[in-house]
Amino acid sequence: MQKRRDVLKLAAGTAAASFLPKKLYAQTGTKKLSILTWNIIDMEPLFKQWFATFQSQNPGVEIEWLDKKGPELPAFYQTQLAAGTPPDIVDIQGGLGLEWAGQGALLDLTPMLDKEPAVRARFNPEYLANWVFEGKNYLIPFYVSKSLLFYNKPLFKAAGIDYAPKSLDDILSYAKAVSGADRTGFLTLNFDWLYWPLFRMQGVDLLTPDLKKPTFNTPAGIETADKLAKATADGSINKISWTGRWVEPNGAFAAGNVGMMHAHSSAYFFVKTQGSWITPETIGIAEVPGYWSTPNSHGYAISKGARNPELAWAFLKFATEKSQAMDFARGRTLTTANAEVDKDFLAELDKNDPTAAAVLRTQIEHTDKLTGNWRLSDDSAVKNIVWAEMQNIFLGRRDAKTALADAEKKVERELRRA
Amino acid sequence: MRRRSHILRHLVMALVCALMLIPFYWVAKTAVTNENIYAYPPRILPLKPHLYNFVDVWYLIPFARYFANSVIVSLIAVAGNIVFNAAAGYALTKNFAGKRIVVLLFLSCMLIPFQATIIPAYLVSARLGVLNSYLGLALPLLSTIVCIFVFKAAFEAIPASLQQAARIDGLGELRILFRIMLPLAKPAIATNIILSFIWSWNAFLWPLIITRDVTMQTLPLGLARFLAYVEDTTGALYAFVCMVLLPGIIVFLMAQKEFIRGLTSGATKG
Amino acid sequence: MNTAPSQRAGAAGSADAVAPPVRAADWYRRKRTREAMLVACFLLPSLMIFFLYRILPLGWNVILSFEYWSPLKAARFAGLDNYAEMFLEDDVFWQALTNTLIFILASPIAILLALAVALAVNSDLKGAAIYRTIIFLSYPLMSVAVGIVWRWLYDERGGFINFVLRGTGLIKEPIPFLQSFGWALPSVILADIWQVVGFYMIILLTGLQSIPQHLYEAARIDGAPASARFLRITLPMLRPSLFICAVIGILNSFTAFDLVYVMTGGGPAHATELLVTHIYNMGFGETRFDYAAALTVVQFTLLVILTFLANRAVGGNAGSVESA
Repeated sequence: MQKRRDVLKLAAGTAAASFLPKKLYAQTGTKKLSILTWNIIDMEPLFKQWFATFQSQNPGVEIEWLDKKGPELPAFYQTQLAAGTPPDIVDIQGGLGLEWAGQGALLDLTPMLDKEPAVRARFNPEYLANWVFEGKNYLIPFYVSKSLLFYNKPLFKAAGIDYAPKSLDDILSYAKAVSGADRTGFLTLNFDWLYWPLFRMQGVDLLTPDLKKPTFNTPAGIETADKLAKATADGSINKISWTGRWVEPNGAFAAGNVGMMHAHSSAYFFVKTQGSWITPETIGIAEVPGYWSTPNSHGYAISKGARNPELAWAFLKFATEKSQAMDFARGRTLTTANAEVDKDFLAELDKNDPTAAAVLRTQIEHTDKLTGNWRLSDDSAVKNIVWAEMQNIFLGRRDAKTALADAEKKVERELRRA
Repeated sequence: MRRRSHILRHLVMALVCALMLIPFYWVAKTAVTNENIYAYPPRILPLKPHLYNFVDVWYLIPFARYFANSVIVSLIAVAGNIVFNAAAGYALTKNFAGKRIVVLLFLSCMLIPFQATIIPAYLVSARLGVLNSYLGLALPLLSTIVCIFVFKAAFEAIPASLQQAARIDGLGELRILFRIMLPLAKPAIATNIILSFIWSWNAFLWPLIITRDVTMQTLPLGLARFLAYVEDTTGALYAFVCMVLLPGIIVFLMAQKEFIRGLTSGATKG
Repeated sequence: MNTAPSQRAGAAGSADAVAPPVRAADWYRRKRTREAMLVACFLLPSLMIFFLYRILPLGWNVILSFEYWSPLKAARFAGLDNYAEMFLEDDVFWQALTNTLIFILASPIAILLALAVALAVNSDLKGAAIYRTIIFLSYPLMSVAVGIVWRWLYDERGGFINFVLRGTGLIKEPIPFLQSFGWALPSVILADIWQVVGFYMIILLTGLQSIPQHLYEAARIDGAPASARFLRITLPMLRPSLFICAVIGILNSFTAFDLVYVMTGGGPAHATELLVTHIYNMGFGETRFDYAAALTVVQFTLLVILTFLANRAVGGNAGSVESA
């Protein structure tokens, strides 16, 4: 069947390639579901299994699976949207889901959730609320994580510090004590709003609860930014925190040269493979003082242009129900926001890999202290503005007062424009 | 004196080459080990080299399938480029009304980045019905302005007397192009082959946008597999990159013998 | 075209030099139209491709720049709003514009380097083929890989460049190349030069190949020194190739997209932001295709001006050398 398609494509060339598949579907009456995922191609065997199961439960359904990396997924999706052929189901990571909801690209899932409270009850409510835009639910979570602190126990032992920070000042003084000639004390991952807990724990929030006005240009905000800038200048904070994306920070921590790393759970599994010094005894796991964290989660959405929205919803329910969510958690060692599954999986993991379990436990605790997830339809624009000025401050190019004032002005202008 | 300047030139060239090779060495070194590239201090010699990463690449993605697709698309692109660019370059050596406008038009066509054309290019391809097909993959790459101008420059260096003689002999323009001009512009053909091959072989964003079937994807799209989940810069990614690089180098090696001096200068003696 | 039958019959099949004036004029006209049609035919395939994939998209961008639009929302006329925002409110645009110009102005460095290399490997130096291959090697390498490796090379602590600089005692403190506002753009430019010098080299090599050797022989016989031979023969004959290189240098300000995106993402704080990365972020990051279209039009205009200037500098007509 596949071979014949290939030969036809080659021989008949253009017209056949676009006409034939559609004709086939029209003739056999199959329903097609297309799913676009964000960079989880390593889960291919599991997904193939799921598709087979789903197809046996729903005969006559064809599933097309596409997976794209983060930087290209928006380009792919928007092009398909402009051409009128968006994938039915999209896996979106982080704030982009809100932006696309604001654009009108996604289906409002609230009616479905209202009709089936059992489905709604599956999820950790804070993670589910992550993607509520203007009162409507647009995504349901299936792979959640949030930031936490990892620390290099031997380094702290050598510096004679008992690790129990209670404030940003504590963290910064620890960082100073541990840093040295070729070592730094602290580093953070920095995509999306991952750095915001450092501000939030000092009581600095980005916007008012109604998301209309910026609130970070306050004495506390300026003081926090200033402290971080000073710590970067004297080498306690690794500069990569402010420009690197994923590999450099993790690579540096894995190399054993960094005292603390502020990252989310998946970082643990990466650094474990790269850092020979990492053992259950040497890796410390902690939460930021105040338990503040920024979530970084994947959720499923349904495109408004989906041809079979009920089928798409059926698949969403299927993918996030206990059996599949458990497979996913086991396959990737992660938390799924399905409360029951996470509890059971962690109980299991406690026996096999207590350190990993401890890491993952932080992902589902204190979910009432989530920050860095404002429901804005122009999240990227605001993020870029604030981040640019933060970089200016932390890397010593501008002082906190003027930079934050500038950022505030620009954010106000952006919020008005949106 | 000759010897000394020769030795000096060799030394300088060797230095330049060494500098050019440093990044490569690291790509190759990481491809044969699984070392953390950020380990400090950097290790110059590979520790326990092995070839498993290359095997990984073969199995982690449908390598043979992607490779075949890339070969087909690149063949179409290279063939199209040589024919279309030579024809256009030849036409541009003639004087005709509106030539300046056409030259400026061609030049300005280049000045639009692909990133700004993604959506309209996709819509055009959809209209033409070539989505998800080899032709669709190759179509935007079938002619490139830089290569047209390379041909134009090469053809202009061929004495007009040759073309006149051919015309008097009654040869049509097409024949002149293929029998007289092209054989004397071998370096330009070589450059065309090399460049259009590299551009079509390495094309990443266009194949990503226009293919939906995994079976139609080209080799660079396999990159996602090695940057999936975590941006993994260990061995497999570098092994993959080396494997993608190889055909480009082979094409260059095969085509570069046309750069031997003296091949075209014997066209007209005096 | 009312020629009498006897005249036509008489002239058929022979290339007589003596022909009535009317016939010659006809023949010329037919020849001209035939030539024009031929030129058109030869240009047509390329023009079709460019029309579909360059000109149409440019038109789409131009129209879009005067509208408010996003996929799924109907277009509203926006007049000059997008342009006003760009010039009056968008700091990132101005930074990106500056960076793009710097990027373009750095291309002569790469071209000169490539010229020196091309001259060296074009000579009868033994092993020229090896040198040529090694220097060209970087061009076919995927930009993503180039970006990743150079990002590591520049790393402040684990990177090779700092390792060598500190090891040889040239500097005491490591330089945060990609985290410093001053160093970031030059660092990216250097990585880009590394990647494209091979490209320039083969363009120049092709150009060098087409210079007739007898010119050099004549000059040598006349006793002209190497510098005169270079300045009087090589450089002028290389004008078309140098023009192509200049245009590539201009293009490089956006073909380097992958490299910049992977190395710095435009950071820190837009220190390495180019117009093309800003366009991409606006289009696919912030879903503002209309604004991105306006940026595209402005960039296009800028590049057209630069190309026009480059064309002027090589004497017009893309630097073509009229051969006798």
